[in-house]
Amino acid sequence: MRFYLTGLFLLGAVLISGCAGIATDEPELLPVSDNNAVTVLADAARADAASGKTDAAVASFERALRIEPRNPALWHELAKLRLQQGQYLQAEGLAAKSNGWAGGNKALRAGNWRIIGQARLKRGDYPGAQSAFDKAAEQVN
Amino acid sequence: MESPWFEKFRHFVTRKRLRLALLSLALMLSGFVLYLDMTVRAQFEGKRWALPARVYARPLELYPGLKLRPEQLGAELAMLGYHDAGGQLDPGSFRQQRDEFIIATRPFVFWDGTQAALQLRADFDGGRLRSLTDLKTDKPVTLARLDPLLIGGIYPAHNEDRVLVKLNEVPLLLIKGLIAVEDRQFYTHHGVDPRGVARALVTTLRGAGLQGGSTLTQQLVKNFFLTPERTLRRKFTEVIMAGLLEMHYSKEEILEAYVNEIYLGQDGNRAIHGFGLASHFYFNRPLSQLDLPQVALLVSLVKGPSFYDPRRHPARALARRNLVLQEMHQQQAVTQQQYVTARISPLGVAEQAPGGTSLYPAFVELVHRQLRRDYHEEDLRSEGLQIFSSLDPLAQFSAERALTTRLTQLEKARRIPPKALEGAVVVSNTQNGEIQALIGGRNTRYEGFNRALDTERPIGSLIKPVIYLTALEHPDTYTLATLLDDSPLVWRERGTTDWEPRNYDKVFHGQVPLRLALANSYNISSARLGLTLGVRQVMDSVHRLGVERDLNVYASSLLGADGLSPLEVTQMYQTMASGGFRVPLRAIREVLTADGQPLQRYSLSIEQVIEPGPAFLITSALQGVVREGTADGLNKYLSPDLHIAGKTGTTNDLRDSWFAGYTGDRLSVVWVGRDDNQPINMTGASGAMTVWGDMMASLDPEPLVPPAPDNIELVWVDSATGRRADESCQDVVSLPFIRGSAPVETAPCATHVQGQSIKNWFKRLFE
Repeated sequence: MRFYLTGLFLLGAVLISGCAGIATDEPELLPVSDNNAVTVLADAARADAASGKTDAAVASFERALRIEPRNPALWHELAKLRLQQGQYLQAEGLAAKSNGWAGGNKALRAGNWRIIGQARLKRGDYPGAQSAFDKAAEQVN
Repeated sequence: MESPWFEKFRHFVTRKRLRLALLSLALMLSGFVLYLDMTVRAQFEGKRWALPARVYARPLELYPGLKLRPEQLGAELAMLGYHDAGGQLDPGSFRQQRDEFIIATRPFVFWDGTQAALQLRADFDGGRLRSLTDLKTDKPVTLARLDPLLIGGIYPAHNEDRVLVKLNEVPLLLIKGLIAVEDRQFYTHHGVDPRGVARALVTTLRGAGLQGGSTLTQQLVKNFFLTPERTLRRKFTEVIMAGLLEMHYSKEEILEAYVNEIYLGQDGNRAIHGFGLASHFYFNRPLSQLDLPQVALLVSLVKGPSFYDPRRHPARALARRNLVLQEMHQQQAVTQQQYVTARISPLGVAEQAPGGTSLYPAFVELVHRQLRRDYHEEDLRSEGLQIFSSLDPLAQFSAERALTTRLTQLEKARRIPPKALEGAVVVSNTQNGEIQALIGGRNTRYEGFNRALDTERPIGSLIKPVIYLTALEHPDTYTLATLLDDSPLVWRERGTTDWEPRNYDKVFHGQVPLRLALANSYNISSARLGLTLGVRQVMDSVHRLGVERDLNVYASSLLGADGLSPLEVTQMYQTMASGGFRVPLRAIREVLTADGQPLQRYSLSIEQVIEPGPAFLITSALQGVVREGTADGLNKYLSPDLHIAGKTGTTNDLRDSWFAGYTGDRLSVVWVGRDDNQPINMTGASGAMTVWGDMMASLDPEPLVPPAPDNIELVWVDSATGRRADESCQDVVSLPFIRGSAPVETAPCATHVQGQSIKNWFKRLFE
């Protein structure tokens, strides 16, 4: 009985997480790492970012990146922060870096290309922005 | 009958004139006193001690899963001065039982807040930290930081160093000790002890020199305002100033100034001032944590820090300490029992003074230079800024050991006079550009010529990857399989002598695949490739990679005739190591004010300056250098499974030996040579690379597996001709190509790519 319950629960969990995957292409909602130290730092960074303490958020992301330098989600979130801060060149560089480690994670790649596109828009590079948005669309298809 | 002379004198000294003279004397005196009064008040009230900037290493971050060996944690704790906890687990102590550590951490204020003191249990599983537990709550700890190692300071003029303490932080025993030994009447006198002055006067008149008899107030005046000369006039000034100080300030204020000002020791050219720093300097712990014998030792140093130096003259220091204890006992500052126990206790001085004159002067100098871009020198030397750097003491230790032991071995093996070889090492994190270790010369404690930053030596073949990278950015023309011409080359340019590069093995190699020309570091094919691309284009790439200085654009520049510092070379390779992202090298993370307020962060900054495709290809080619080229000897030090990328560099007549290479987590550049630029008879592989290999082997490197960009495909090609082949052919190799750039011509043996071959045959037919 217990066995079936567990199975049912697992099935439910899979379904729910599957739905979550379909419902949104925001990759940052997925757990950022299986290393708790990184998760704790990323959570702290998000909380700081949400309350406007962007410098502290940047510091925590950088600290997390020292632990997991190949984690594309961390690079992505840092890129997003820099975009918010108006540091467009940095945003673009960090998003490109995230793409480097993103492998087959299409949602993340699409997110990175959108950051690159927005950063280029802000810098007045319209053709560059268009090509970035095209790349973002390619990832989804 | 009085003499006429006396008559005249009496006539002259009228009462009026006498009064006038006395008045003017009084006026002059009061003017002088007024002047002294102003000086005393201005200086005492305006006295802000100049506090040096303090530089800290990176804090060790502990978390389950961390790659760290138990002995590395032990080494870190030893460097931090953690002591073996006896029965009591005080902050700053630890216990080790095989692979389990119990650590009582010290609290510390970081940029992002305070790390509280914790009692941790750390368990190891081979080379990793398995678990981390809070002893008090018995709950797992996700992440904890140890306090960072103090690695040096940027000192004020006269190199005065101090740690300020408030009077209420000073142990009462210390105050009692000072008063018992130095100035028993302190709380009752008015700055001067008349008996003391009288005694001093007598000894002076006897010609025994001026000495003793100074109250604490006078000693403070001496330290504060006056030069150390010993004259009666100075003594007079001192007495007046002491009286003035007492008039304006309370005993407590005077005492607080005294405990922070008094000179208590010397560390190289750094002067140890005040009990706060002396406590760290002699006992490696804060003043508030000292016990009676330690307090007594500090008190005993007031009389003569050099004469009673407990490290150099332990017997003398012990005798003096016990004398102080005796005085304290006589003055009833301590009980009989306290006195007896304290007397028999050892000096308890920490063997090594912690991080004063830096253990890592070369790295601290780099920090100082990076700070100077943003801060006034004056502020760095006086504001007590706290600088958090990226130095990794464990990496630095490995680098130092590898360099010093290797240089000695190399000298013996190559019959070079002892101590003639010099070297420099830079180690950085490949992903974020933080410098983890830096060595400016063989004597790593020497604060002199910093070869990592300031030596400019021809970089030889270390420049070649830039030529190849520039070529690989044109995938329509160059791939790793493209055949290069390694036949004789004479370069004629107006105004210069003909340039005729030779290969190191004096052989011409004919048609050579590009990747092998780099792997074997062939000069002629590399030079010809560079000339075809244009010297200026190649030098532009050097700039793009992050080298800022002006560069020559001679043909010989293509073979590294021009000089760069090891740090500049590191910057150049950093961009390749991080996959085409230029990441400025940084030694500083954060700057805090003296009281722990965040001031400035030095953020990670990155810019993509090379497309992912060519960046991937050049790393792949540099992996070939280690796999099958001039650096294949590295496999003796490190497993081939690490896929390390590297390049050897050797200059004319074997004067400089270079190696630059990177793993999955670290980049390092090593230079070996002589200051007098004499030949050292070493190639990059036989010199610098051995240092690199030793160092990296002790650092457990991560394997280098760069992510392949989308537009990279792996294609089998014939090893010698570069034609498309398949796995079944002999002498084939699988190489990465930017999509669409792989060779279309097939090798005769290829069967599986037949279809494509036929297509190509048709294609050729109609072209």
